[in-house]
This record gives sequence, structure tokens and C-alpha cells, in this order.
Amino acid sequence: MISVNNVRAGYGDGPDILQGINLNAAGGEIVTILGPNGCGKSTLLKCIAGFVRPRGGAVEMEGCDVSAVPVHDKIRHHLMGFVPQTDNVFSTLSVADNIMLGARYMPAAERNARYAELMAQYPSLASKQERKASALSGGERQILSLARALISKPRVLLLDEPSAGLSPMMMHEVFAAIAEIRDRTGMCIVTVEQNAFEALGVADRAYVLSLGKVAIEGRAADLLADPAMRHLYLGGKPPVVESRPPFAAVN
Amino acid sequence: MVEFLVHVAIMACLYGLLSLSLNLQVGFAGLVNFGQVILFGCGTYGAAIAFSHQLGPVAGIALGIVFAVIVAAAFARLGRNLGADYWGIATLAVAEVLRILANNEAWLAGGAQGVGGIPLLFGDMPRPMGPLMTLGLCVALLLAAWWLCQRLTTSRYGLALKLMREEPQLAASLGYDLAALKTQTLMVAAVLAAASGFVFAHYITFVGPDQLVSSETFLIWAMVIIGGSGNHLGAIVGAILMQFLFAFVPFVKDALGLPSEHVAAMRLTLVGGGLLAFLIWRTQGLIPEHVGGKQNG
Ligand SMILES: Nc1ncnc2c1ncn2[C@@H]1O[C@H](COP(=O)(O)OP(=O)(O)O)[C@@H](O)[C@H]1O
Ligand SMILES: [Mg+2]
Repeated sequence: MISVNNVRAGYGDGPDILQGINLNAAGGEIVTILGPNGCGKSTLLKCIAGFVRPRGGAVEMEGCDVSAVPVHDKIRHHLMGFVPQTDNVFSTLSVADNIMLGARYMPAAERNARYAELMAQYPSLASKQERKASALSGGERQILSLARALISKPRVLLLDEPSAGLSPMMMHEVFAAIAEIRDRTGMCIVTVEQNAFEALGVADRAYVLSLGKVAIEGRAADLLADPAMRHLYLGGKPPVVESRPPFAAVN
Repeated sequence: MVEFLVHVAIMACLYGLLSLSLNLQVGFAGLVNFGQVILFGCGTYGAAIAFSHQLGPVAGIALGIVFAVIVAAAFARLGRNLGADYWGIATLAVAEVLRILANNEAWLAGGAQGVGGIPLLFGDMPRPMGPLMTLGLCVALLLAAWWLCQRLTTSRYGLALKLMREEPQLAASLGYDLAALKTQTLMVAAVLAAASGFVFAHYITFVGPDQLVSSETFLIWAMVIIGGSGNHLGAIVGAILMQFLFAFVPFVKDALGLPSEHVAAMRLTLVGGGLLAFLIWRTQGLIPEHVGGKQNG
């Protein structure tokens, strides 16, 4: 579904933030991108979406090179839904208006039917349809941004830190919603996450970025058991197995 | 006295058009244009060039619109590679370059001398009727422009502009083409400003580069800020208010017994002082932006 081949990217005249990244994600799986703050996770997601043009390599979706396809074309053709990391709802618009923004390129009848489906699916939003998005809690905003991305049934869903700033309970709820989307729709979902262990609980596979490269990749279950991961993410605690240096687990 | 009031009213309408145009850019699309005067100049030079080639006023307005669209496209192109603040400075630079060009290229439209003798639009009418007809035209233009701006900004297009201004990243991620939105807004605004310039040229009957100094841009900015940016009526009120205040500066000067050279300085003080006062005490302007309201996706 998505295939990132040896992509290099950066901003303006700056250095390469991504230095040759390879990543694959298939339909019906959640692939999560992990790594420390500032390592380029969001940049990679923006590169997949098309906000950042690769300097080298290519991004493919459904087997076509989309590196040069503008974001709005992918949205218009319902190929992709994208939820940015912060400020992901329009706070002056109502919940209903926010969701409908995701359905601009759908026939009115279909749009209304989809909207009703989503309201049935997310009761927490249904009870607040006319409220301004600014009146929602952090978790409700994440659900709102998900619903807005989902209304057009995109084939690919890109989520930048959907669990950022949420309480453990809300985080669990958001992850559950994402897993449910995968199971029900068979969408190809790529998320960026800081909360590595929680994210690995729902993801199928993961890529850990470090210094612009993929340092570790594999099935989520394997990574959860990987001592290198523990070393990376439980900073304070000593790694369980000291004999293995971090970042050594590529393939 | 009536003729004087008609004159002030005509100028108020023409500035009202410029102010509406700038407000569309600044207040709705978040485009900080410091080169606004050159869009007006597209209209004046369209009229001047058509006149000096013995072409009629229809050719003049057509030429003015073509110039305006070209300059707007150039401004939009600059915006692709620059942040909003640098873009503002770039528009100022482009406007200055074009003014200096007009000043030095005598073949273009008389260079620094400009072009005089541009016919009045209603020149063959008897004296009080001509200016009144011009005023009628200006009022009609202003109302039409107001209606157009109102239509644009309350439509889906206006919602797109609002979203772009509020959360550009998010708007882009929802499939809004920000570059196209900005280009379109600039084009509409440019045509409004050029229309103002065209009528101005045929009213004053003279076109020259000195009409395009950047202080004019800042005067229009003052009108937008004082009137209330993000509100069409505010932009018009700001322009009318400033024009009428300006018109009465000479009377105040006489009452205070000040020498004539103080008039320009007093006007400048009025602009600067008014601007400062509003920026400090009433940033939303006289008529604040309409926030919220019914929006449809
Ligand atoms: N728009 C931008 N312009 C320039 N540099 C940027 C921009 N966005 C991010 N960066 C830089 O790119 C690097 C990676 O950022 P990002 O991809 O946001 O990291 P992450 O999401 O992993 O925290 C950081 O050093 C950051 O400063
Ligand atoms: Mg990030």
C-alpha cells in the first residue's frame, strides 16, 4: 500500500533530516513510527503525505510513485487522510462542521449517510455535535480529528501522535479506536508515536528512527521484547541485557 | 463647497475600493501586502498607456486589469518560497522597483513627467453634472465591490480562507490548496485596486509615478486597521473617515492660523497618530471582525 524507498528529505537548505529511509505498510495493518523527540518522525509522515518533497528516493502508494503528487490531489481522490501532530481541529467551528470538512469531495447524500454512521460509532462526539471544537477535551479532539479523516473512507490513514498529551485512559480509548478502524475497514494506517510501549500494544509493526535512519524495525510483539528497545525507551533503567548495544537490531 | 464635498466623496470611494481590496488580502487571506499601491498603479497606468496610444477607456481598463493580474501572479509566485513576513517586504520591494521603472522609462508613460490630459469620464457633461456622475460611478463601483467581497467571504471560498488563516497546516492536510487560494484572492484584490486606479486616472486626468509612493500603501493600511481588518464595512468606513478628516485639515489649519506647509505634516500626524492609537487601544478597529457565525462545510 505504502512503500518508502530510500527517501532523503529535509527543510529548505537545511541538512537531510531523513537519510535514506525504507518503510512499508500494507492494507489492514497499523505501522507505527517511533523514536526520540526531533528525530524526524513527523518529517517522515509529512514526506509520505506529500507536504515535504523527498530530495531523493520515492514514496509509493498503491504501487504508484506519489512523491510529486500534491497533498490536495490525494485528499480529493480519497486516497489519503492525514491528521497533523498539533492543532488538529478548527477550534472556532462546531464538531459537526469540523467533521464535514473531511467530506467536501463527496456527494451530499453519501456525506450525510457517512456522518450518521460516524455519530453512531463515536457517541462521545454525537452528544456534542453543535459544540465548538474548542470546548472538547484532548481525547475528544483526537477522536474528532480521526472522524474527520475517516468520513471520506480514505485507503491510507496517516496519524501524527494521536495519543500526545492524553491521560492513560484516553490514550487507551484512542488506540482502541484506531485498532477498531483497522479491523473494520482494512485501511493502511501509519502512526507516529512517542509512547512507544503503549503504541506497540496496538501496532502490527514498527520502525524506530534514530539520527535520520531506521535503527530498529520489526513486528510490534518482537520489539516489545527487544532489550534494545527497553534501553532506548526506559532511559533511566539499565537495559535488561547489557551485552547488546542499542541500534544494533536493524533486520 | 458642494463641489469640494463631491470631490472628497469621490476620493473616499476610490480609497474605499483600495481599502476593501487590501482588507480582502490582509483581513481574510492573511496576506500582508505592503505593495498595495502598485495594484492601484496598474489601473492608473492602464489608463495612461491606453490614452497615450489613442486607445479608448475600454482598452484602458482592460490593460489595467491585465497588468493587475500579472502583478498579482508575480506576488503569488513570490509567496511560494517566502514566509509571510518576508513576503510582505518582497511586495514592498516589487512595488518600489515598478515605481522606479515607471519613473525612469520615459517611453512607458512619460517617465517622471507622467501623462497628462487624460479625458474625464463624463467630460462632455456640464460642470456640476460631470463630477456628480463620476461620484455615482464611484459609489456604484464601491457597492459592487462590497457586494462581491461579501459574497466571496461568506461562501465556501470564504470558509476556506478563514481555515487557511486559522490553521494553515491543518487546512492543507484537509486538501485545501493554499497556494491557489492565495493566488485567487490576490487576483480579485488586484482587479478591485486597478479599477480604483483607472477611475482615479480619468478623474484627476493625470498619471505619474509620484502617485505610487509607498506612503500611499501605508495610508491604505491605516484605513484598514482603523476601520477594523476582517470586516468589509470597517474597511469602507475607515477609508471614508480618513478622507473626510484629511479634507478638513486645511480648515483646522486656517482656524489655528498655521502656515500652509503644515497641512501635509498634519495629515501625516493624523495617519500615524490614528494608527498608533488604534493599535494600542482598539486593535479590532472601529467595526470589529465578525467572529463565529454560521458556517457550512
Ligand atoms: N518546518 C520545518 N523547518 C525546518 N526544520 C524543521 C521543520 N520541521 C521540523 N524541523 C526539524 O526537523 C527535525 C525533525 O523534526 P520532526 O520531524 O518534527 O521530529 P519528531 O516528529 O520526530 O519530533 C528537527 O530537528 C526539527 O527541528
Ligand atoms: Mg513530531
